[in-house]
Amino acid sequence: MTFSIQRGIRASVVATSLLLASVLSAQEGDPFAKLENNRYAFDLILDSAAAAGLPTGPLMSKAREGIAKKVDSKRIVEVVRKLFGELRTAHAILGGVDEQELTAAAALLDAGAKPSQLELFRPRQTGRNDLTAFIVWTDFLQRNIANEEAFTAISKLWRDGADDATFQSLWTNVKGDISQGLNPGTALQNRIRETPGRASPAPGKPPEGQENQSSR
Amino acid sequence: MNEPKVAIAVLCAALLVPMQRELAAQVASKIEAGQYTVNDGALPISALRLAPTVQFEFPYATLKARGAAFLSEQQLQLADGIVSGTFTSPTVYGVRAEMIGNASRAIDDRSLSSDQVDVQTRVHLRFHERGGLWVGGGVARPWRVAVFSAADISDVGGWAKLGSPTAKFGTATFTTTFTNFAFTKIASVHDTVSAQLSCVGAASISTDRVPLFPLRNESIAAGACERQSRFGDLEGSLHWEMGAVELTAQMGRRFGDSYDVTSDSRQWTSAMATVWLTDRIAIVGGGGRQPALPLRGLPARTFGMAGLELAYWPMSKTAVPVSLPHAPLVKSFEMKPGLGGLQKFVIRVSGVETVDVMGDFSDWSPLMLSRRGRDLWELSVPLSPGMHQINVRVDGGQWMAPPGMPTMRDSFGGEVGLIGVSPEKGSH
Repeated sequence: MTFSIQRGIRASVVATSLLLASVLSAQEGDPFAKLENNRYAFDLILDSAAAAGLPTGPLMSKAREGIAKKVDSKRIVEVVRKLFGELRTAHAILGGVDEQELTAAAALLDAGAKPSQLELFRPRQTGRNDLTAFIVWTDFLQRNIANEEAFTAISKLWRDGADDATFQSLWTNVKGDISQGLNPGTALQNRIRETPGRASPAPGKPPEGQENQSSR
Repeated sequence: MNEPKVAIAVLCAALLVPMQRELAAQVASKIEAGQYTVNDGALPISALRLAPTVQFEFPYATLKARGAAFLSEQQLQLADGIVSGTFTSPTVYGVRAEMIGNASRAIDDRSLSSDQVDVQTRVHLRFHERGGLWVGGGVARPWRVAVFSAADISDVGGWAKLGSPTAKFGTATFTTTFTNFAFTKIASVHDTVSAQLSCVGAASISTDRVPLFPLRNESIAAGACERQSRFGDLEGSLHWEMGAVELTAQMGRRFGDSYDVTSDSRQWTSAMATVWLTDRIAIVGGGGRQPALPLRGLPARTFGMAGLELAYWPMSKTAVPVSLPHAPLVKSFEMKPGLGGLQKFVIRVSGVETVDVMGDFSDWSPLMLSRRGRDLWELSVPLSPGMHQINVRVDGGQWMAPPGMPTMRDSFGGEVGLIGVSPEKGSH
């Protein structure tokens, strides 16, 4: 009796070891294998993106993200397909922007911005990147600020030539006000009124109101 | 310098020498130094004790080396040492498999030591991140203790966690285990009365059974007998954390026949308290009773200790993995330029066992952070210039956006954080 128990325990050790080994080895190999029956649809989307001149990196990244978050494979492919559509729309409006900017624009559309609003950003300025503006705008939508309000604020700053630091400063201030209990829309309106279009002063020139102090 | 001293010196050096953290493994380490008192008469009655520990953590494996030594009469005396490895499978529907291997040496006297190798497997079941059960089994093979065969070990356990780090009374984790040891023991009728009794009705030693004791070199005395023995340990423990104070208390009871369980090991109680002075320095103290470890040849003992814990890379003391997926627990997230062009994530979150991040920069594979202080976690990763999406989770819970950065929906019902790395500044 005792020896049969011992054999049972030892057999369970071996069996669990084999189970562990098989589970761990299954982690290797094709990263998209978990899409299973939806793999064909996923490959089709990638092929379509490549044919349309769109980057496939964001699509593969989204699929990996879904797999890592243990999302159902059907849902993952639905999300990837939607992202493909948003990338195509953003590409059609903005033209040849880099992959990150295009991905940020697609995320903005996903968050609720209208394609027509993106058209404002079509004219490219040398050395200017709209990535930060898109990210801040997306975050405002995430914080339940109405799309029209957010668009008005972002577009005003953009037209005024605001740089990345100005957009970041706006975001920090609005986030702080919201965490203090202020209505998100009100917080944005208050902050946009006091945010200059160009945050960075010219080199060597002290900020307004500090000339007297610096001369003491 | 003999072998034990080398081992202790290597362990101490390993945890005191700063090393590059950009390894495949995360490292945790600590050293306890203090006065230790025992009453069994074999070890020094009261002596300075050093106990270094180093732990390497991989995504599905943990390697750990731990030792303890006494400084007595200006000599370093090894008390015990253990090297262990744990391999775990991913958690699927709350179920996780675990395989544990240990190789250890325990020294009860300057001339007496015992070695043991054991392998155990467990299957864990977790309920809503607040409790769980496990069942396991394995084999322990003692060396240098001639009267025992390999032992079959089976255990069941359960745990429950109450409260949270932000709650008024902190967090309390209750754990209960029952471990059964079954083994073959050689008893001599000439030894003791209980041994004589144990041989009544037991099989006499026969030479064809010697393979049960393969490391026995001496001849078996005439009049000895083999006996199937077993005993079970029922143990309960409480680990309580509130602010800078941690308290761990254990009590247990051993069940078995009188010739397998000595009266001084029938029940035991011990408690340890830790008060953190800084993120890396704590005062530790406690005492109580430990039961005998018959397979190791170690007697029961009463002990007391008081000292300092220096945690170069602190590690958790909680035995049971617990998930607490509450977003407010993550107090802050920072990204700083690190060595070699890497970016260092610095996260403050207290009262958790593990912190992971993932993002497009890791192809959405989880990367485990190292505990650097009581609530401080760090990880250095290569990040290309540009914007990156990132998620963080604690204790294997839900993925969430770290605080203090713009976020966006991930289309899967959650959200991701957005961090930017500028080519010239390294990060913003």
